[in-house]
Amino acid sequence: MAGVLKASHLTRRFGERIAVDDVSFDLAPGEIFALLGPNGAGKTTTLRMLAGLIEPSSGSVVLNGETVTPDTSPRLRGQIGFLTEAPGLWDRLTTRQNLTVYARLHGLADPGRAVDAALDLFDIRDRAGDPAAQLSKGLKQRVALARTLLHEPRIVLLDEPTAGLDPESARDTRALILRLRDERRAIVLSTHNLDEVERVADRVAVLRSKLVALDTPARLRARLFGARVRVAVAGAANSYEQVLHAAGVRDVRFDGNTMSIALDATDGQTPGLVRALVQAGADIVSVTPEEQPLEDVYLRLLEESPA
Amino acid sequence: MKRITALMAKDLAELRHSPGIFIPGVLTGLATIVYPFMIAIVIPYFAGERLSDSSDFEIAAEMYRLQPSARALSMEGAIQAFLFQHALIFMVGLTTVTGSMSVAAHSVIGEKQARTLEPLLATPLRTSELLAAKVVGAAVPGLLLMALCFGIYLIAVAVFAEPGVWLSLLNLRTLSLVFVTGPLAALLGLQLAVYASSRVNDPRSAQQIGAIMIVVPIAALQIAQFVGGIVLTSSIIVAVAAALAIANAILLRIGIAVFDREAILTRWK
Repeated sequence: MAGVLKASHLTRRFGERIAVDDVSFDLAPGEIFALLGPNGAGKTTTLRMLAGLIEPSSGSVVLNGETVTPDTSPRLRGQIGFLTEAPGLWDRLTTRQNLTVYARLHGLADPGRAVDAALDLFDIRDRAGDPAAQLSKGLKQRVALARTLLHEPRIVLLDEPTAGLDPESARDTRALILRLRDERRAIVLSTHNLDEVERVADRVAVLRSKLVALDTPARLRARLFGARVRVAVAGAANSYEQVLHAAGVRDVRFDGNTMSIALDATDGQTPGLVRALVQAGADIVSVTPEEQPLEDVYLRLLEESPA
Repeated sequence: MKRITALMAKDLAELRHSPGIFIPGVLTGLATIVYPFMIAIVIPYFAGERLSDSSDFEIAAEMYRLQPSARALSMEGAIQAFLFQHALIFMVGLTTVTGSMSVAAHSVIGEKQARTLEPLLATPLRTSELLAAKVVGAAVPGLLLMALCFGIYLIAVAVFAEPGVWLSLLNLRTLSLVFVTGPLAALLGLQLAVYASSRVNDPRSAQQIGAIMIVVPIAALQIAQFVGGIVLTSSIIVAVAAALAIANAILLRIGIAVFDREAILTRWK
């Protein structure tokens, strides 16, 4: 699949300090790519380089086949929607006025219609005439998201989109992010919210100036903790130990009527194990993949890559 | 151009919610209207003397009457016209600058402090467009205020001064001063304030830098006029206007060069 965004060996120095060090990744349409990392890990700097707001000290960003340079960045910024960490609304202006300014800055043919469509899409038409200062934090974030998507960018950069939101607003924001993926937009999501990443991200990059890891959450889990499956049977689980060893299982833990089996690969092995157990007479109650929380994966990755 | 007008319209819409910001400009405008009337009309009236009774203004009156539009004026009218015309430079310079300086000084750092600058910079807006919008957007209220003051000034001159004085003020020299040279000088000061606003961490610093760059030359020019060091003829005003236009263009280029969006985004707190 052709990438819409390609970051190659991105490095950014601020004086002696290296904020981002040799980071490379690419992004396909309809993909949600999460950037994780502790404070100061270079997430926002990376997003700013992707958005053409600051130049990399070395390396490059290519958007839709075109390299971002000082000359091309004003035009290429029109292909990107960048939700900054703060909503950044003009408090004295109304919701509609805020959006209209951006519709005009993006040179939309019919700013009024684009703003009306955004107000409807984000369900904020009833607050269109309210000054931004009077909006709740969740509503401000919704308006900021509407502003980010006003010009229908194919690449969307989101810097902590749910930070400080109440659970309902955060859920709505996640639903929107998933909807953007369904619309085949490429999304880079910078966040500290691991639960959010778990729910929406297709791939995860863990940053600590350098790229510590980059993969799907499932593969990262498997790499660090191994893949396991939990099988519950009627009766004592440890009576099937020999069967499992015969099926090639080397690591199995028993607890009453359940067994936790280490898999060699993330998928493909489970059906054979279940078949062997059934053939041995096991009454299988349930089979569930055993997933280490992403938080454990993240913390383990950071432990293995000290600052 | 559309992006410049979009940003200017936004700035003006925000200013409508802060009318208090124009109080210094309005007070300055009123002062620049009142003070020449004090000298030319009020003080002579209460002193019981006409300006033409004093020999102090003879040379000024004769010089002023060399202008085609002033030949028909009486000696008293010519002296009044001289005073009213020379006081205009204060109105043009100070009213515009005080009406707009705080707007210009807050223009970039205000966006940064409100955390609205980064989303703005993430649009296709170019640095030149951002700066042009900020400078012109800041200048518009001051220029409108100055034009309003000029209108009131003319009406007041027509009502209170000698017959024909107000008409003598409507010459190329005055009009170019009010509508060309003055605004260009104001733009220069406001550009400096906007660029200072993009370089400092405190809007007060930007305001001071911009103000001093315009107030000092205007004050010097005014003093030089009154002591006879400089006579602002039409040709001098046109030459100054041309120099100011060039200076504005050069300053815009410098402003674009020194506008460090990276430093603004990454180092300002």
